[in-house]
Amino acid sequence: MNFALISLAVPLFAGLLLLLCGHALKTRTTGFLAIASTVVSLAAAWFALQTVANAGASIMLDLGGWETGLAIRLRLSSLSALLLLFTALMHLLIGLYAGFSRQGIARDFWHLSCFLHGSLAALWLSADLFNLYITLELLGLTAVAMVALSGKKAYRPAANYLILSLAASLFYLLGVALLYGRYGELDVLLLAPRTEADVITRLALLLMTTGLMLKAALWPLHLWLPAAHASAPTAVSALLSGLVVKGPLFILWVLWSEVAPPALAQQIGPVLGIAGMIALTAGGLSAMRSPYIKTLVAYSTVAQLGYALMALGLLLTWQLPQMHIALWLFVIAHGLAKASLFLAAGEMQSTLGTRRVDGLRGATQTVPVAMFAFAVAGGSLIGLPPSGGFLAKWVLLEPLLSEPGNWPWAIGVLLGTLVSAAYIFRVVALAFDRARINPPDTRTGRAGHWLALLPALMVWGMALSGEWLIQLLAGGGV
Amino acid sequence: MTLSWTTVLPVLIILSSLIPGLLIFATPETAARRRTILNLSGIFLKLILVGLMLAGVSQGLQFRFAIAFLPGAELVLQGDALALQFITLSSVLWLMTTVYAIGYLENSPLRSRFFGYFSLCVSATVGLALAGNMITFLLFYELLTLATFPLVVHRGTPEALRAGRIYLAYTLGGGTVLLMGIALLHSIAGTPDFVPGGYVTSLIEGNSLSLRIAFGLMIVGLGVKAALVPLHGWLPQAMVAPAPVSALLHAVAVVKAGAFGIIRVVYDVYGIEATTLLSLTRPLMWLAAVTIIFASIRALQQQDIKKRLAYSTVSQVSYITLGVSLVGPVAAVGAIVHLVHQGLMKVTLFFCAGNFAETLGIHKIQEMDGLGQRMPWSMAAFTVGALGMIGVPPIAGFISKWYLATGALEVNQDWVLLVLAGSALLNAAYFLPLIYRGWFRATPAGGWHENNFAGQRLETHWMLLLPPLVTALLSILVGIFAGSIFSPLGWSQFIVNREFGL
Amino acid sequence: MSAIELYLTLGVAVFLLSLHGLMTLHDPIRRLIAVNLMGAGTFLVMVSLAKRSAVPDPVLHALVVTGLVVAISATAFALRLIIAASKHDEENSEDSEQP
Repeated sequence: MNFALISLAVPLFAGLLLLLCGHALKTRTTGFLAIASTVVSLAAAWFALQTVANAGASIMLDLGGWETGLAIRLRLSSLSALLLLFTALMHLLIGLYAGFSRQGIARDFWHLSCFLHGSLAALWLSADLFNLYITLELLGLTAVAMVALSGKKAYRPAANYLILSLAASLFYLLGVALLYGRYGELDVLLLAPRTEADVITRLALLLMTTGLMLKAALWPLHLWLPAAHASAPTAVSALLSGLVVKGPLFILWVLWSEVAPPALAQQIGPVLGIAGMIALTAGGLSAMRSPYIKTLVAYSTVAQLGYALMALGLLLTWQLPQMHIALWLFVIAHGLAKASLFLAAGEMQSTLGTRRVDGLRGATQTVPVAMFAFAVAGGSLIGLPPSGGFLAKWVLLEPLLSEPGNWPWAIGVLLGTLVSAAYIFRVVALAFDRARINPPDTRTGRAGHWLALLPALMVWGMALSGEWLIQLLAGGGV
Repeated sequence: MTLSWTTVLPVLIILSSLIPGLLIFATPETAARRRTILNLSGIFLKLILVGLMLAGVSQGLQFRFAIAFLPGAELVLQGDALALQFITLSSVLWLMTTVYAIGYLENSPLRSRFFGYFSLCVSATVGLALAGNMITFLLFYELLTLATFPLVVHRGTPEALRAGRIYLAYTLGGGTVLLMGIALLHSIAGTPDFVPGGYVTSLIEGNSLSLRIAFGLMIVGLGVKAALVPLHGWLPQAMVAPAPVSALLHAVAVVKAGAFGIIRVVYDVYGIEATTLLSLTRPLMWLAAVTIIFASIRALQQQDIKKRLAYSTVSQVSYITLGVSLVGPVAAVGAIVHLVHQGLMKVTLFFCAGNFAETLGIHKIQEMDGLGQRMPWSMAAFTVGALGMIGVPPIAGFISKWYLATGALEVNQDWVLLVLAGSALLNAAYFLPLIYRGWFRATPAGGWHENNFAGQRLETHWMLLLPPLVTALLSILVGIFAGSIFSPLGWSQFIVNREFGL
Repeated sequence: MSAIELYLTLGVAVFLLSLHGLMTLHDPIRRLIAVNLMGAGTFLVMVSLAKRSAVPDPVLHALVVTGLVVAISATAFALRLIIAASKHDEENSEDSEQP
């Protein structure tokens, strides 16, 4: 457990340090310190994962020595350890990009990204509904501040994002208050055996679900996402799409698979599953029509979250462990692939001097590495073997196909695959246009292109560790 | 896992084209010599390794490499006799096509990209042949799609992009359907290695509907690449690609990948017994017969040489499916040997068509008048390929048709003879006019559109001329020496004895 | 209806009314106020829930205090962003008026 605490505390303190004395340091040093803290956090997360795998069960820790009920209780399960590792890895990859790409990044990015890392780590470890609220707010505020980093034109979308995020948190908080009023408990594990399917519980769960779905941009509450994610600086877009939306999704999972009484969970499951299927197609169609590169990638997030939502919905409906594995495999595979996609999109935008998809004509010649990164990451989103996306899709498909009654859900997966292929290859096909090439700006460096490729290669490498991941998620699921 | 040479060899065979391919991507555009050396060393290395494996398999050695991938489904590479049939074909033709492509693309832009993807395609094809179970097969099947797409759109013109989009829509759609089929099958039977006789026979009871649906999905997914009617629409479109791509990939690698997959599914996944018990052979047979006749008629309607050849490919590849669906040992020999024979003949035809286009700017059939006087060698090779397609002895095509016909009689499907005869007549109807125009019509008064290499000792660049002559010669030789044990026919007999337990 | 129930109902009513405001209003400042009122409704519910036992529940009070801190800082941040955004818009509209 101590390793998990290190993984949580190091980025938080690094963030504080950089905030307080950041102005005395060079931007380069700031970046170096932030990346170093991420590396330490990554190593700690790895050891935490080892610890929990050896223990074979979740490890609990009461902070501050208070008795249970008052203390801040942290829980390290194999899932949260894996997510800690994933978060640190994403921050490392994106931090490297932000530090070495020629596009440059505002100095404030560094301490904000440290805070974001810390609040996410706290979120994965929290086992208390109110703590989860606090981490959710921290996450939202940091994310808004990071969107605003791209300058004045992003203030309007940032303000809208903040207002919606606050409203969503209040939905969640009201739900928490109702649950506390009904049961007098906030701790997830103490609450879980006591919940009943009465009116107040239903109302509370409904309120919390609405708030969380709004925060995670799950269909139909996704409309704010494309504007916010597309207007942020490239590295921030990657963090937002790859990581931040997964936080509320995690809480949603905790809420329904642990807190809610199983009878209610079985009722909501199909609803979430259908919403996921609609998200897959509707988000994909919007991505197909989007005239701007970054908006296309942002809509693809809406679509891909549909897979996760579908897996969650079916997990609740059937209580199948495979769905749990599929859900988190989707989260990890999507995070890595989406980071690559956003970084590549940002690099291509700045090198080609255009925000439009049409501007990518001839990109295989002008920005070959970035375009390759885009295609490779896109391949994982489509779910081509042997990528991480394929692994997740396979685990999701297996239980769907084994019962003829479940086949309609498989059609949803089929549609999702085809639509993702359509919007990814819309871009890739344009890039092979040799007749009307958009000339590149040769002054920008190419380091960023290679760094954009790194997460994409990792998501394809994920397939090789597929068995390990599946066992890990199957062993310490709840 | 012990690392002996029998485990490593399948991996090395894939790497021998993959690594040169990746290195070629990094080669500067101007370093033509370095690129050629990389290409050729990869090819010769692969040929040596394939030779080793051929020797090993004929001695009865097992080649198997496996790593963990999905729960209950490893990534398996396995060198068995059927795999080697396909690998040997693609490696030999890779050599020919690379020589041809170096000549064809001389001084054109983006050659590093072209040869890089070309090598990746060959790696994917070989991987697909070596795949030891359906999951591994799927993996290489999708990689083949991805690696061929850049070659289809290589010219980067609006028409090429349009064709590329159609190609992707078909092949990715097919890949998704195939995935569904494989996943469905996995949920019933798991994903063990391919085994002669299949692994589903014991599961038929209670699962017959699911097994039929899985079979249907897999055939549809594979049928897209094998260009079974009505899933063939991408192939004529893809002819906008440069000639070497049409020659190796569209006439051989991609369509054969589909046909090879069908062979695997029928023989090594379902097995002949289960396929017959589930009464799946008859629909497949009809599908193949309709494709053969329909595509031949479509070929007759084409005026563009490459388009006509494309429809001819659609028709000829279905001979393989037809032979498989007849489920008799003799027809099976015909099907498996046609995999090689059709490849040799069709690649010859495409090389020649490319020569006509490169040297004289000829794309249409009407423009072929008097071609035999200007380009006798290419025209001769073309004639050999075309006559072989019609089924004139002793060229390779005759052998396949003979075995298909006797195989059909053996299993009492006499109507198949009508299909074969009809197809031979149609083949004659759409190939003979080309030969006639080429040899017996006078050269047009206006001369040619272009006249490259005029007045030189050879009718065209030697790198363009040598490959079709070699492949034409090979298609005659495999016909004449069909009786030898090391001919494609002898090897097919060896495969079939294993499959049918003879 | 007891006093606690009255306050509870009042809190929920405030929450719902301001939610309606948030969805229908367009001016960012008004929307921000609406969100703050939603917060007020939530806190009202929490405080009245705390009053149900003879000794007021300290946990809920702690939650309200924490919630207030978050709400205040977020509001300050939002105001700053909205002001900066409208300044930016004004500059842009002036720019576009010039020939």
